[in-house]
Amino acid sequence: MTTTPEVEEEETEAAVPPTPPKRRITWQKLTFLPAALVAVLLATWLWFNQAHLDAISKNALSNGQVSKALWRHVQLTVISTFFVLIIAIPLGILLTRAAFRKAAPVAMTFANMGQATPAIGLLALLVIWLGTGEKAALIGIIIYAVLPVLSNTIAGLKANDPTLLEAARGIGMSPLGVLAKVELPLAVPLILAGVRTALVLNVGTATLATFGGGGGLGVLITTGITTQRMPVLVLGSILTVSLALLVDWLASLAELLLRPRGLEAGS
Amino acid sequence: MSFWEYLGNRHQQLLTDAYQHASAVFQCMVVATLIGVVIGVVTYRSEWAGSLATTATSTILTIPSLAMIGLLIPIVGLGVPPTVIALTLYGLLPIVRNSIVGLRGVDPSLVDAAKGIGMSRLARLMRVELPLAWPPILTGIRVSTQMLMGIAAIAAYASGPGLGNEIFRGIGSLGSKNALNQVLAGTLGIIVLALLFDAAYVLLGRLTIPRGIRA
Amino acid sequence: MPEPSASERSASEPGTATSGASIELENLTKRYPGSADPAVESVNMEIKAGELVVFVGPSGCGKSTTLKMINRLIEPTGGRIRIGGEDVTDIDPVKLRRKVGYAIQSSGLFPHMTVAQNIALVPKMIGWSKSRIRNRVEEMLDLVGLDAGEFQGRYPRQLSGGQQQRVGVARALAADPPVLLMDEPFGAVDPITRDHLQDELIRLQHELHKTIVFVTHDFDEAIKLGDRIAVLRERSHIAQFDTPEAILTNPADDFVSGFVGAGAALKRLNLTRVRDVEITDYPTVTVDDPLQNIFDKLRDSGTNEILLLDKRGRPYKWLRRGDMMRAKGSLARAGTLVSDTVTRDATLRDALEAVLTDNAGRVAVTGRRGEYTGVVDMETLMNSVHELLEADRLEAMEAQHELEEARALQTHAEQEGVGGEEKA
Repeated sequence: MTTTPEVEEEETEAAVPPTPPKRRITWQKLTFLPAALVAVLLATWLWFNQAHLDAISKNALSNGQVSKALWRHVQLTVISTFFVLIIAIPLGILLTRAAFRKAAPVAMTFANMGQATPAIGLLALLVIWLGTGEKAALIGIIIYAVLPVLSNTIAGLKANDPTLLEAARGIGMSPLGVLAKVELPLAVPLILAGVRTALVLNVGTATLATFGGGGGLGVLITTGITTQRMPVLVLGSILTVSLALLVDWLASLAELLLRPRGLEAGS
Repeated sequence: MSFWEYLGNRHQQLLTDAYQHASAVFQCMVVATLIGVVIGVVTYRSEWAGSLATTATSTILTIPSLAMIGLLIPIVGLGVPPTVIALTLYGLLPIVRNSIVGLRGVDPSLVDAAKGIGMSRLARLMRVELPLAWPPILTGIRVSTQMLMGIAAIAAYASGPGLGNEIFRGIGSLGSKNALNQVLAGTLGIIVLALLFDAAYVLLGRLTIPRGIRA
Repeated sequence: MPEPSASERSASEPGTATSGASIELENLTKRYPGSADPAVESVNMEIKAGELVVFVGPSGCGKSTTLKMINRLIEPTGGRIRIGGEDVTDIDPVKLRRKVGYAIQSSGLFPHMTVAQNIALVPKMIGWSKSRIRNRVEEMLDLVGLDAGEFQGRYPRQLSGGQQQRVGVARALAADPPVLLMDEPFGAVDPITRDHLQDELIRLQHELHKTIVFVTHDFDEAIKLGDRIAVLRERSHIAQFDTPEAILTNPADDFVSGFVGAGAALKRLNLTRVRDVEITDYPTVTVDDPLQNIFDKLRDSGTNEILLLDKRGRPYKWLRRGDMMRAKGSLARAGTLVSDTVTRDATLRDALEAVLTDNAGRVAVTGRRGEYTGVVDMETLMNSVHELLEADRLEAMEAQHELEEARALQTHAEQEGVGGEEKA
């Protein structure tokens, strides 16, 4: 009994035909959100151009205060996210190593308690301790975002199939090799999701920086509320929301682009 | 004045604030859960509907809470209304997402088995799918509640109820002797509330999750 | 005479170097903290270079644990391991594993890497040049029967279970290790695919002569693949370590015979080919022969029937006396069509099946191009099987006898010093 023709049969019948590689970034994803944002911002700008703003409002919006607030907000977000990544991801890796496995639940409990803390309270306490300004705000934002990234990193690494890791060791990868070539790439989707959450969270927490004198778009919102000027309030809110949505959209693109190829759909 | 003295002096005010804080969060959680589970039940069977629901509610979540409140004030004014609306909206995503994931995660062979023994659609939903999806939904409720605790604090800035007021009093009097006490009282109060709610959820889970599927 | 076993064959074929390495396990033990009994206790085994040894045993007997101690995925708590004569118990485990191929049940392919990247992993870690790796990947895919051009860039999730296993084997062999460890590699695929994969492994082994240690709980798989089989009981104690034939015909104790299960004789039939037994010759005629000759032959033959061959000499119809009469002299309508044939490569099991389904109790044997070469009937089959089983029994008894003699000599030597041997 020859086996070759049967082997060919087996392959053509049982093989899953390779799907044509789906374009990872569909044109809808590429254009929908930015278009919506542009439309909203345009509408806002047009409205402001024709609106009759009184002196107080004009004051709040003049002298490039808006762009200053916007720029400061972006700064806070980016710097804090950077620090969150270099703290939370290595910590997550460390806590999933065999030696530290027992420390993981303890660390997670601490982090969970941290999450129960209201951001505004945390910021206020830091301001009392460190004084007003950017530093307190940054530290507060960083602490607040460490948990989601940490928990996602740990979850992502734990979710890796142990037989795959054993296979990696079995074919002769060093422990570092297993981490770098197998564990981390496979955990990337979850880690990226955590990073995306952190980024958006940071934009949000950065709005509270105003309460500690840290600047940012929250200034416009609080000014609007205290002076009871709706235009200022609304402008601050719209800009904040737009920034948050923009950051989320960019992060979702990054998620799609950086996801390892073999793990798409059905995994 | 030390922290304990401060607590002693102001305990009436603090308890009132705490009660209002908890009550606001609790009521909004209930509403959010009801709406969220309904959305989940309605959309989980279709790919696009589920995605739409998840994306829509997650978009809400990307909006910073202060900005959301800021947008609501011109529409509904200050005080309780913007707080309630914001809390309910924010509470939706974890519930919707976990409902959809939980319902979709029910082993299809179990649903078939239920069909096979003659259960109607509603019966299947109520007696098989929802109970099996309940653990992830409960997790969603826990996550949501924690989140709302923090957001409620911010809502106090727009004259909303709750312990946030205490924190803002402290911020408002930065530099004074009582500032730290006030901020600490407000913050710790919220943490305690969050932990209490969490413990209640764990208990709820023990009581309502059948032993057979307890993690 | 039964075919020589694989290891004998490789020794007798000139110029076929064994690329495998011998493996020695000395008092290998594994104890887990908190357990009273060791998981694996004092395993002593010598595996020859180029041999395919199968570990078979019930679940929990520790066969996988023992296998994983060979490449030290599980570190032994006692004993020594020697590969190719070299003691590897204490060397750097990572280096060791790069020299030992490892294939597991779920194929263990990394989903985020392409087939080519998976196969290239170990050569890359060892430091081969890019071009050498590229060639090797193609060579390996070819070796396991997959088209290199088509499969190189695919991801594991785009492959069927059987294909994934093949790639898993290709990856294990990529760096040309002298030893290959396989832990129930065919357990997760359907029976038909498993059959094909087993045939492929046999073919591979004939080509490469690696030393393979194969773990399975399926005794039929063990018989099909193994040069020698180690039947393991709890704590990996060796109940019997011998050729499949010996185990089938002479199980060492009740445990082994229980494991072999019923139908040892039938299973034995799987190990012998048609070419190894006596094939009788039947009188034949061809379609071109004049009718009168056919009549004569029918009348004169000692048998009840003759075999009608077609123009190319292939078995066409069975003709019995009276068939011609009944068909009123028309050859086209006479006789019964030949329903099934077997080749000389077929196992006796296949032959038995063919003989049983044909209610006249015989089957025609054909050669490479389907031409008639003989007939196997029930009587021949039964006689051959009895001869085989007898021969096996004798061989096993002889081996036992030799073993006892050697032991006796050794005991004498130990008791009375070197001179004792000569006395004995």
